[in-house]
Amino acid sequence: MKYILRQSALTLLSFAFLYVLLAGASFVVFPDPSSAGPRDFQAAEQTLYMTVPKYVFLGRSVLANPDRKIILVGASNTGVGFRQKLVQSNLGCAKVSNLAMGGANISEVRQVVNLVHEVQSDQERRLNTFVIGVWFGMFIDSDVKYAEGDRHRGETDVDIERYRYGFYRRTPDGPVAVLPAKWLDAGVMTIRPFLLLEKVAREARAGVNLVLTGRTSAQRTDDERESVVMSDAEKQKALESWKETMGRTSDISPTQVEVLKQTIQALLDSGEKVVLVDLPIPAWHREASPYQPSYRRALTDLLREFGDQPNFSSLNMDDLDNDLDYSDEVHAKRHLADVWSTRLARKLDSFVCLEKPDKSSPKVTTLRSSAQVTTAAPGN
Amino acid sequence: MSLTSPLFFAFLAAVVVAFHVSESVAYRRFVLGAANTIFIASYLTDVTQVLPLIAFLALGYVCVSALYLRQSSLVLASGVVAILCCYVFLKRFSFFEGLGQLPFPYLTIGLSYILFRILHIMVDVQSGDLAERIGPLAFFRFTCNFLCFVSGPIQRYQDFSAMDGKAAVRLDSSVVYAAFSRIATGYVKFVIIAATADYAFTFLSPHLLQPAGLPLLKLCAVYAAVASLYTIYLYFNFSGYMDIVIGIGTLLGQTLPENFDKPFSARSFLEFWQRWHMTLSQWFKLYLFNPLLMFLMTWVPSPALTSYLGVLAFFITFGVMGVWHGTTAVFVIYGLLMGAGASINKLWQVACTERLGKKRYRALTGSTAYIYFARGLTVAYFVLALTCLWVPELPQFTYLLARLGVAGVVGTFVLVAAAFGMAALSLDLVQARIRIPLTLSLTQGGEITKNLHLAGKMMAIIAVATLLHKAPDFVYKAF
Repeated sequence: MKYILRQSALTLLSFAFLYVLLAGASFVVFPDPSSAGPRDFQAAEQTLYMTVPKYVFLGRSVLANPDRKIILVGASNTGVGFRQKLVQSNLGCAKVSNLAMGGANISEVRQVVNLVHEVQSDQERRLNTFVIGVWFGMFIDSDVKYAEGDRHRGETDVDIERYRYGFYRRTPDGPVAVLPAKWLDAGVMTIRPFLLLEKVAREARAGVNLVLTGRTSAQRTDDERESVVMSDAEKQKALESWKETMGRTSDISPTQVEVLKQTIQALLDSGEKVVLVDLPIPAWHREASPYQPSYRRALTDLLREFGDQPNFSSLNMDDLDNDLDYSDEVHAKRHLADVWSTRLARKLDSFVCLEKPDKSSPKVTTLRSSAQVTTAAPGN
Repeated sequence: MSLTSPLFFAFLAAVVVAFHVSESVAYRRFVLGAANTIFIASYLTDVTQVLPLIAFLALGYVCVSALYLRQSSLVLASGVVAILCCYVFLKRFSFFEGLGQLPFPYLTIGLSYILFRILHIMVDVQSGDLAERIGPLAFFRFTCNFLCFVSGPIQRYQDFSAMDGKAAVRLDSSVVYAAFSRIATGYVKFVIIAATADYAFTFLSPHLLQPAGLPLLKLCAVYAAVASLYTIYLYFNFSGYMDIVIGIGTLLGQTLPENFDKPFSARSFLEFWQRWHMTLSQWFKLYLFNPLLMFLMTWVPSPALTSYLGVLAFFITFGVMGVWHGTTAVFVIYGLLMGAGASINKLWQVACTERLGKKRYRALTGSTAYIYFARGLTVAYFVLALTCLWVPELPQFTYLLARLGVAGVVGTFVLVAAAFGMAALSLDLVQARIRIPLTLSLTQGGEITKNLHLAGKMMAIIAVATLLHKAPDFVYKAF
């Protein structure tokens, strides 16, 4: 027994030594960023967190502060199309964070909203303005959307991050928190050595890619995306691919529409503001896709339902549909993203900045100039 | 209880500490019995789920007891038939669907290995090889030993009994370090290598069954990659599991038998099975191949035909071993492929020996070209035969075969054989030329270096486990 105890102690000591060594190295290589203020979650690759879902899950406590906040949620086209720095530079009254995640459906958007809420007090929540970027490709049921073999069916990227470090545990009724949200930062601190190891592994893989293929990743750079023009064959392939991805022949998932409706309602009920952005796609795709009509109908119904609520607004950019401004069937090129970002900033400036926040009464907002706030149908 | 769950580590620590609290054999047997019960209970969500297992064990014990009373062939045969029928019924083999099934979910994990242990006791009691009377608690500790419960190794009762609660392994610092190191190595295989291979396999394999066809060359390349990845996954998953349980066994004073001995260095299919899942193949050799060959030789008493009777016995033995792996029709194909592999190998040996003579045949098998050619063929055959394990449904299996055609299968076989033969040759050449510098080999023996090495493995295991989305599962649990 004494040999087993001795060996256990030696192993634990050696492990602790390596652990402290790596934790120290992680602080030297990736110093802990400021604990308050906006964060560009889209720049996750340059941080210790590596991916947007992981950065959002582990780094979201920066959103727990008494500042007025603009929180962008959606899928990759929200991430690529709204440049955090550009929106922020055009908006003085609030801190902008872009939490959009590649491949997100509406359920995952709801999860991101919940993650933000977990770290905020009721008072802090009332200072939120959620910008929800949507397009038809986000209205896919989770069981269809997240069905790859390397994950449990229906589990989103947010779910994966919840379980990854044991902060949540998997139950038949869904994820249950093991670590209370107030201990999030302490939890992140304890896993820093492993984050560093993962970062090293990813950098090593990028190095191998560079040697084998001449580039660190298969993803196109901004400069490459600027110059790309889709061929007819690529357009056809994209249409077929979406047909397969959507899992339905011609309509979007009504369940996802309902989730969006409930999400907006919940946000409005808790005194938060919502801007629903109907994200444009290139004209060829909009016209050829069988899903666009049902998406349009669902969106019109939503806008009709929420359009008269003072804390709700919408933004439509359908005029920005020039095929050549998109690098593929969904994503805006950099020059178009600048236009998207400016338009959003203008919308937010009028919707958020030109009013005084009334913390005591969440349902009632005082507008400096009601004429400057648009709350009705798309196109405003 | 998953091998990678915190619950398993807590359970393990508790069992090891409880085992070493006292040196009393009775106490230690109690601890091991309790550990087995808790381990099995961890798989249950309802107490009814364990009832079929209890019934199976009870039937086994009744058969063994009957053989103690009367060591006749008739009692043995009746017992074997009863146990096999019960096993087939509980395992729900698809080709025996007419037998019906129990109307509630129940535990089948470990059933195959319990079957082997019970049959071994019955045969040995009947033949007189096992004179020791086995009590019900010892029977439970042997058949349901938590270390071997899920997937072996298959111990003989005589070996188990010699160290049951007795701490047969004398622990000192080097033995304990070796056990810790073996467990860590097992987890490196299980969590890092096997899980990564499975990750790649999961991404690549759907391409083979997609309706949109790949060109034949690309299809062969993808098939070769997928089949090889599955083999890597299977080997490292299974041998990693064995390292873990053998390491834990050492800490509990048990010496469990090895299950793998560098199988990919085998120069023939028959040698491969002497190195792969060794306790299973030894079991089949002892309890099926040998009696079967004896029976055939009695039935056809011609010395000239002995070699060919061996071929037939190999075919039947490997066929049964293959069918044992699963409950669907594809596993019959797997059994036939295993039987064919073993028989062809034996026929080749017989033919070469007859044609060349023993000396020249030995010279031929010793030549470098022959060795790597034979290693390539052996591995390629096994790799492709394993397709039955990852495409277990007949329609999918036949669809894949139809897409590949004869040319595709042969092309993939040649590709895998050539790639493995070349890789093995290159690796052996490199290994023969690499010498560890004296300074490095000296520091490797140091206490600090050794333990940092161990801790480094643990760190890597945790990092990779968190990097991959799904916790790895033990593949042989399903068999």
